[in-house]
Amino acid sequence: MANFNKITNICKLFNKININGTRKLINNSIDSRNIFTTNAKYDLMEFFDDKKNWGVQEVKSGRSWNKEELRLKSNADLHKLWYVLLKERNMLLTMEQEAKDQTRLFPSPERIDKVEDSMENLEVVVRERNKAYHELETGENGERPGKMETSVFGLRYYYKMCEYVVPKHMNKRWHKKYQFYKYDKDTEAFLLKYREKLYMTKRRKQRRDFNHVIGLLNRFPNMDMEALKHHYPDVDINKAKASRKYGGHFAPK
Amino acid sequence: MRITNLLFSRVGKWSKQYSNLPDRYIKRAMEQVYWRNPKGIQYKPNAVIQRKKYLFTLNRPWTAEFRQDNAPGKRHPKVFVEPIKEWSFFRGDRVEILVGKDKGKQGIVKQIIEERNWVIVEGLNCELKQLGNDKDFSGVYIRSEKPLLVTTEIALVDPSDLTATPIEWRFTEDGQKVRVSTRTGRIIPIPATAEETIDYKTKATYKEQPKDTGANEVTDITFVPKLCTFEMDIMENMGIKEDRIPAKSYWY
Repeated sequence: MANFNKITNICKLFNKININGTRKLINNSIDSRNIFTTNAKYDLMEFFDDKKNWGVQEVKSGRSWNKEELRLKSNADLHKLWYVLLKERNMLLTMEQEAKDQTRLFPSPERIDKVEDSMENLEVVVRERNKAYHELETGENGERPGKMETSVFGLRYYYKMCEYVVPKHMNKRWHKKYQFYKYDKDTEAFLLKYREKLYMTKRRKQRRDFNHVIGLLNRFPNMDMEALKHHYPDVDINKAKASRKYGGHFAPK
Repeated sequence: MRITNLLFSRVGKWSKQYSNLPDRYIKRAMEQVYWRNPKGIQYKPNAVIQRKKYLFTLNRPWTAEFRQDNAPGKRHPKVFVEPIKEWSFFRGDRVEILVGKDKGKQGIVKQIIEERNWVIVEGLNCELKQLGNDKDFSGVYIRSEKPLLVTTEIALVDPSDLTATPIEWRFTEDGQKVRVSTRTGRIIPIPATAEETIDYKTKATYKEQPKDTGANEVTDITFVPKLCTFEMDIMENMGIKEDRIPAKSYWY
């Protein structure tokens, strides 16, 4: 019984917190009317587009926010804009899924990319500001630390560090999960073959480019050589011209 | 360079300019990913298997026709495209045609396909296509422009004497890059239509859409430099106080 009372009390507490929270949100959203473009509805229909845009061929929209513009905005504005964008993205993804379900056309799918571009740019700007603060105050950038590590397979990769409650030497689970490279005969054999494969891919690309340049030289004898050098910097053009595949009686259309 | 970047860089700047679509969308619309490695500890993280060779025709990369041209499993003979140093033909340019039955005629550039060094000149170099011909019905003829190679098949027209001329990119004294006719030395200005997109004629005449943020609001500077992080500022604005001292933690 005592437990049940406790739970009900906790529920009540949560309810209170929730009510306060929503009230605050509503007040804030009214203050930020300069960015809001749609009427506040606060129901599930917010996940759907305006009814005018249902079943149309195209919905016109502007471009995404770029970093220069976002740098002009205060933190509070960016915070509001983030939620505007998030809601818009939710709406677009819902509409896309709905269109897919009903095998209808989802008009102007590039809107999703525009919103996501804006969100990415916004995140970059926020991180810039935080980095500036941390570098000024602590001398470090305050980003999630990481370093280059060698994986069990002997390949280098960027290891993103995590925050743990216990130090490294006590964390058995971490040691089990993250194993880095230690000398191993089989891995060395693998690496030898892997590097050979990479080398062969590189060689193949070089040969392909070389042959392509010969093909170009045969087809376009009056080609701009500087442009050719710019596009294929690794190809020795004199060597290509010396090749037996160059010139001859080959006359393509 | 990643394969995705390589793939993406193939769609020329001027061939997608008129469509006014974000690069991200064009990439998403044209790519064909057959396999992506799942996230986690991998021998090859982020490995992607996708189509690398695309056939570029008059169909733009974000259209269904392009997808049909490059359907999975479809292969095409290799296309040799002459490398060009700098693109110098823009929408709205007056050009003279040097080959074909319209040789010597001048027209306006309507569309650019940079991937193939192609340009479409309005109303010139046309072909007639017979559609829907039957035993009883002769079909309908449809006229459509054929593309022209910018390297050999067209030349820009000098505005001073209205004749074709080879051009060169030079710098003016103000440091502006301009096209100059090598015959007369006159500057060939880039037409205003080069900036035109499907959504607007010029940037100034863009009609704002209901969800757009107004130009004044975008340029309005609300940023105030403050010695705090983004999160600290937001917490202060919202009246959230956080005095708890976090427990000791370890980063590794």
